[in-house]
Amino acid sequence: MARLQTPAEMARKLENARRWFELVPPEGVPIRFEVAGIAARFGAQLLDILITVVVMVSVILLLAVLPFTIEPLVTSLAAILMLVIRAPYYILTELFWNGQTVGKRATGLRVLGADGRGLTTHAVVARNLMKEVEIFMPGTMLIVSGSLGTVWNLILLVWIAIVLIIPLTNSKRQRLGDLIANTYVTCRPKAVLLPDLSTSTPRIEFDFTPAQLEHYGSFELQTLESLLRSRSETRRSDLRRRDSLVQVAAQIRYKIGFEEPVPDGRAHEFLHAFYTAQRAFLEQKRMFGDVRDDKHHRDGD
Amino acid sequence: MSDSQPIRSSRFRAEREADWRALEALVERVESGGAGRLDFEESRALAALYRKATTSLSVARDISLDKSLLIYLESLVARAFLAVYAPQESLSGVMGRFFGGSASAAVRRSGWAILMAFAALFLGGWVAALLFAQDPAWFYTFVPTGLAGERGPGASTETLRAGLFDTEGNLLAQLGAFAAFLFSHNTRVALFSFALGVFACVPSLLLTLYNGLILGAFWALYADRGLGMELFGWLSIHGVTELSALALAAAGGFRLGLAVLFPGGLSRKDSLRASSKDAVKLALVAALMLFVAGLLEGFARQLITDTTLRIVMGWGIGLLWLGWFMLAGRRAR
Repeated sequence: MARLQTPAEMARKLENARRWFELVPPEGVPIRFEVAGIAARFGAQLLDILITVVVMVSVILLLAVLPFTIEPLVTSLAAILMLVIRAPYYILTELFWNGQTVGKRATGLRVLGADGRGLTTHAVVARNLMKEVEIFMPGTMLIVSGSLGTVWNLILLVWIAIVLIIPLTNSKRQRLGDLIANTYVTCRPKAVLLPDLSTSTPRIEFDFTPAQLEHYGSFELQTLESLLRSRSETRRSDLRRRDSLVQVAAQIRYKIGFEEPVPDGRAHEFLHAFYTAQRAFLEQKRMFGDVRDDKHHRDGD
Repeated sequence: MSDSQPIRSSRFRAEREADWRALEALVERVESGGAGRLDFEESRALAALYRKATTSLSVARDISLDKSLLIYLESLVARAFLAVYAPQESLSGVMGRFFGGSASAAVRRSGWAILMAFAALFLGGWVAALLFAQDPAWFYTFVPTGLAGERGPGASTETLRAGLFDTEGNLLAQLGAFAAFLFSHNTRVALFSFALGVFACVPSLLLTLYNGLILGAFWALYADRGLGMELFGWLSIHGVTELSALALAAAGGFRLGLAVLFPGGLSRKDSLRASSKDAVKLALVAALMLFVAGLLEGFARQLITDTTLRIVMGWGIGLLWLGWFMLAGRRAR
């Protein structure tokens, strides 16, 4: 029999679409990090390349101002300067800024050691040496690809395809250098502590019986939490928000059989009280091992 | 129920919130300016508060249904983890360790791989010399035209000799020669033989053999004209360093390839990772040696034209490398 998807399952699926990985630090509590997106990593790389190219060009311009004739050597000089500038740039920034280059800072990315014990010098050097083979060698060859033969162009094509496919084949989006150095790239976590909803209203004038709290699970509770936390900027969205609060309050009253009338103006207050009571009830049950994921009593697989 | 004291998870939060805020403030300072910004007491507080926060997180995951609290704690602990387990390195420390022992230890541990690389190089040279003795036309088979230039079996002995003792050109031309060298044949061979070693050593072995073939063909040509000693001097001044660099790069590749071929008790992935620690150091040493070889080829070879002096200088520098590899960091162990 085909089973309908409950909203909680859909929410869980949505949550899984954002990729996470867990590190176990020596403290033994697994810490969750979000896997960095391909687009952000691409942007960071582009910015880093831009920075190194700008430095390289300014060095060449400086040499041009000095009394040297460098025209015949410009290409080879540029190639050397690129190598001398970029390899230390990536290694030193990632080592001293805890896994961040300038580009990674700008896009909010960070390199992590996969063993949960911090980045090692070896890991930083290895992943950035592989970058030479993965990105810069094919990149420079791509620039001169017009003058290469068909065979080399084919090799180049396969090479670039492999380099691009490898991050897509593993769940943590590790490129070859990450695999060898055993590192992950993560989004920088942001933390904002919001006030606790269950204590933020001083007086609560609604009472619920345990039977009335039997209906919902933690998914519904947390959905209600996000509704109560939502803020409205404009008058129109504020009206809409009030409207949905009234509707949700009516729906909940109907479902749990709450007899006492609730005027529209107090819908928010009612929901607040219900949230607090429901959370206390569910947390109590959880304490005794009765984990209820949603109102269908379906738990995660 | 509603009139009673706050629910359990709220009390849990109220008891610990001050610690979390304190940790957050410390983490923010580390994020903006590095751990060096903290004094001793603050660093201790950071570690202690981090441990407390991990405990809070692990408890909250079990007892709290407050989603925003869970999200906050998850990211707070993640940020604190990054602040606590940041690499504590200084540039002088990294450099000191590399030159003072870790690089030379990696070279010493890779003795067999290096021997293998040199053997491939000599085998290539020997085969090329034998074939050249049979028929000089083999020279064109082995040496790419771009590398040979006007040097070849068709060239006169005088042209060949002039090529060895060319002192023309100013400083700029020498710089140009240096630049051209770095991105010429040898750097590419070194990089490829290192990076492709992962594929079970085969590409590295072939590349090293091929480089030996080129060398052997040149040597056979010059020896044929009675210029063997002069070529030896010409090659020695930079070649001792340069060929050793090639061998080390190839040895790095071999270490990777051998780890894939014979992982022993480890899984192939783990074995590759373990051997990559030495291989990366070999690659860095090879890069350094290639850089020095480039300087020697660009400047010293043009300035010093006496064959004996060239040989002495080339092998002297080779001895210095050997001394570094064999001696550095021994006492520490």
